[in-house]
Amino acid sequence: MTKSDDPIITIENVYKFFGDIEALSNVSLKVKKKEKMVIIGPSGSGKSTLLRAINRLEGVDRGKIVIDGQDITDKNCNINKVRMELGMVFQNFNLFPHKSVLQNLTMAPIKLKKIPQAQARENAMSLLEKVGIKEKATAYPAQLSGGQQQRVAIARALAMNPKIMLFDEPTSALDPEMIGEVLDVMVNLALEGMTMVVVTHEMGFARQVADWVVFMDEGKIVETGTPEHFFQSPEHPRTKKFLSQIL
Amino acid sequence: MRDKNIKIEVTDGAAIPSRKDPGLFNAWRVTLIGTIISIVSLVIFKPDPYLRIIKFVPDGIIITFQVTFLSIALSLIVGLFTGLGRLSKNRTINLIASIYVEVIRGIPLLVQLFYIYYALGSFFKIHPFTAAITAMTVCYGAYMGEVFRAGIQSIDKGQTEAARSLGFSKSQTMFYVIIPQAMRTILPPVGNEFIALLKDTSLVSILAVSDLLRRGREFATQTFAYFETYTMIALLYLMITLILSKIVSILEERVKPYDQK
Repeated sequence: MTKSDDPIITIENVYKFFGDIEALSNVSLKVKKKEKMVIIGPSGSGKSTLLRAINRLEGVDRGKIVIDGQDITDKNCNINKVRMELGMVFQNFNLFPHKSVLQNLTMAPIKLKKIPQAQARENAMSLLEKVGIKEKATAYPAQLSGGQQQRVAIARALAMNPKIMLFDEPTSALDPEMIGEVLDVMVNLALEGMTMVVVTHEMGFARQVADWVVFMDEGKIVETGTPEHFFQSPEHPRTKKFLSQIL
Repeated sequence: MRDKNIKIEVTDGAAIPSRKDPGLFNAWRVTLIGTIISIVSLVIFKPDPYLRIIKFVPDGIIITFQVTFLSIALSLIVGLFTGLGRLSKNRTINLIASIYVEVIRGIPLLVQLFYIYYALGSFFKIHPFTAAITAMTVCYGAYMGEVFRAGIQSIDKGQTEAARSLGFSKSQTMFYVIIPQAMRTILPPVGNEFIALLKDTSLVSILAVSDLLRRGREFATQTFAYFETYTMIALLYLMITLILSKIVSILEERVKPYDQK
């Protein structure tokens, strides 16, 4: 058992190369239970690569990543087990188009956790209610708007009852008027005490929710701090420049 | 999201009639009606030998269908494994599957038939029907493999990532998420291969399998009515493939986008 003070995610001296390009360069991070970490940075800064390394969608070349006591950089680690504890939400939703909304939510719990169908459906319906989309349970993903699809995707990840939620630019593919509905769901999730790592360009969300903001550039962590520190008195010139461009 | 209109082009099937071609005189209708009128009028106005031919060949049609359906069923299985093998990250499996495809695609089907029946047949006794099915399966398994590979590759990478991030293993992801979606993309080209295979079964007549063409040849050598016999055989093949291509087009039509269920 991990004490609540122990980090649930530990990233130590991680390197990742794409050919000659250093996508991650000596990155170290710790996230404690119930903490919300927001990673920001220009495109190509390695922030998505870092997030994807946390559930090994992207393997790393050097360094160590430990999730809830499990070293996922160890080849003998059962990554599928670890991933069940790690919900992930993608920029492009990636719902299963051949399954209804309800089936998108129940598939993994039924097949992987062997939860009885009736119970899985019940859980799924309450999650859909939580993300405000219960009436679309029988619809297919293609019948939903982008915002609705992303809310279903969040519910699908939550259906596995994960300990940590990873968000990879969850609002970047959305029309502006749909961003709010997705952020609302994420804020509520944060208020409930979910451990979250979020890659985003939504600075309002970072300000409101984050315990820590991490600024990355060229594969390195440039600056880490509380939102107050970040948005009021950033230290590093690169951070100042980035913030002045987007705020 | 993924492109819903992906189509895999396959070269040697029959033309699949488009349902969007609304004209009464589209190519498929004109050809089918022409074929039927030809067969009927030949039988009515010149029952000897045409009616006799028609009565002589049904066993052959049954054999042709048997070879077709057995070969299709088996080559779908071989094709699935070949396609998966071609996509495998295991270099040995990948290499074996790729070499298989290369070899088979580089040798004419007729030569493959000869090879299995006569060349391998010199080592162990093999029934002509078995040899025919084996050769067709080996040959079309390679083609189907390419269709499966293309179909699986057409599914967006995000689908795999989403499934893996939920905790599905590689094979569970393939089985529950990728293949069900790939089936829709694969259906039309598989239908096409189906028709191409049916036509190619005429080659097995060379191995003394009494298919439609073989029965025709038997009739022709007995009666010396070569012109009449092969005219009728050609018309019968044409009618069968026309009907099959219509079935394929109906199936294709039923594969609707996911939001129109």
